[in-house]
Amino acid sequence: MSLAALYFLLLKASLSSFSGLASLPILREDFVVERQLLTDRQLNTALVIGRTTPGPKGLYIVALGYFVAGYPGAVVAWAAVITPALLVLILLRWAASRTQDPRAQRMLRAIVIASAGVSLSATLPLGIDALTSPLAWAIAAGSLVVLLRTELDTIWAIAAAALAGLAAHAI
Amino acid sequence: MLGREQLTWSAFVLSFARISNLTFGGGGPTVAAFQRELVAKRQWLSPEQFALAYALSRITPGTNLFAFCTAVGSMLRGPWGAMVALLAASIPCCAIVAILTAGFDRWSANPWVNAAIGGALAASVGILFASFWSIVEPYFTKRAWPRTAVIAVAGFLLSLKLSPVLVLALAGFVGWFWKERE
Repeated sequence: MSLAALYFLLLKASLSSFSGLASLPILREDFVVERQLLTDRQLNTALVIGRTTPGPKGLYIVALGYFVAGYPGAVVAWAAVITPALLVLILLRWAASRTQDPRAQRMLRAIVIASAGVSLSATLPLGIDALTSPLAWAIAAGSLVVLLRTELDTIWAIAAAALAGLAAHAI
Repeated sequence: MLGREQLTWSAFVLSFARISNLTFGGGGPTVAAFQRELVAKRQWLSPEQFALAYALSRITPGTNLFAFCTAVGSMLRGPWGAMVALLAASIPCCAIVAILTAGFDRWSANPWVNAAIGGALAASVGILFASFWSIVEPYFTKRAWPRTAVIAVAGFLLSLKLSPVLVLALAGFVGWFWKERE
């Protein structure tokens, strides 16, 4: 497969999704079922990598690109992942001209609030996956309290949690 | 709270690179980290600007976090800011994914790596809850709280069954017509 074809297939999947793993069925159909460029095991491996590395979960597409065409494939996948983000500039122009319209303000407020609820529902699978021990529950609760009560940077909460995981492993 | 911090290109790039590329657990915790950094700590963005960038990024196809960074970059530094924020937020974490994919079999079997990642993922759950509250809290005013509570709970419950974009479209529709109490 040419790198251009790889870019457009990944871009199509990226454009047709609005959240982390929503592009997964399309990618499986294109790469595993139809073209047999990947195996289900590689697809699962890509998902694990996307979930356990920093940044958005949707970066599993970069791992898929690597599996298809090595580092050039990963670069092409990166381009396919970031291209749709530029569409937000069009929305920003649209919104900027309507910031005084109370209906548009109410609509955006409702989207923000509902988005927070949607994000919270995404916590469920992450919680099932991550909260598998009393220590993990303690880390989650501790992070929540610290972040709500202090202005500590989230990076430090994550670093402390990683250290706690290491310490528990060492004991 | 400290005063507004000066917005220099170096601080701008470092903020996007550091938060996007060092926060585990996906876009939710990362946006929460951005809120603390850009709104509460550095005060480069007003809460209203943050909310606008957040809302628009959620209805943009693709990876919401990168759309969010692009929108915030554009608000802070125009078109160049949008591009620089997008590149700073995406290049390092994508490079990490590519490198780890190349050596996946080696590092995935390392119990120390897995222990550290397990801790970081557990923290992400707490970060997501904190993020939820910090986003909706400003809307729990005396007049608007019933509307806020209904939309937040409906967003949570409906997204368990419906696609997120459909839920957000529904929320936008409801918001357009449903006024807060006078």
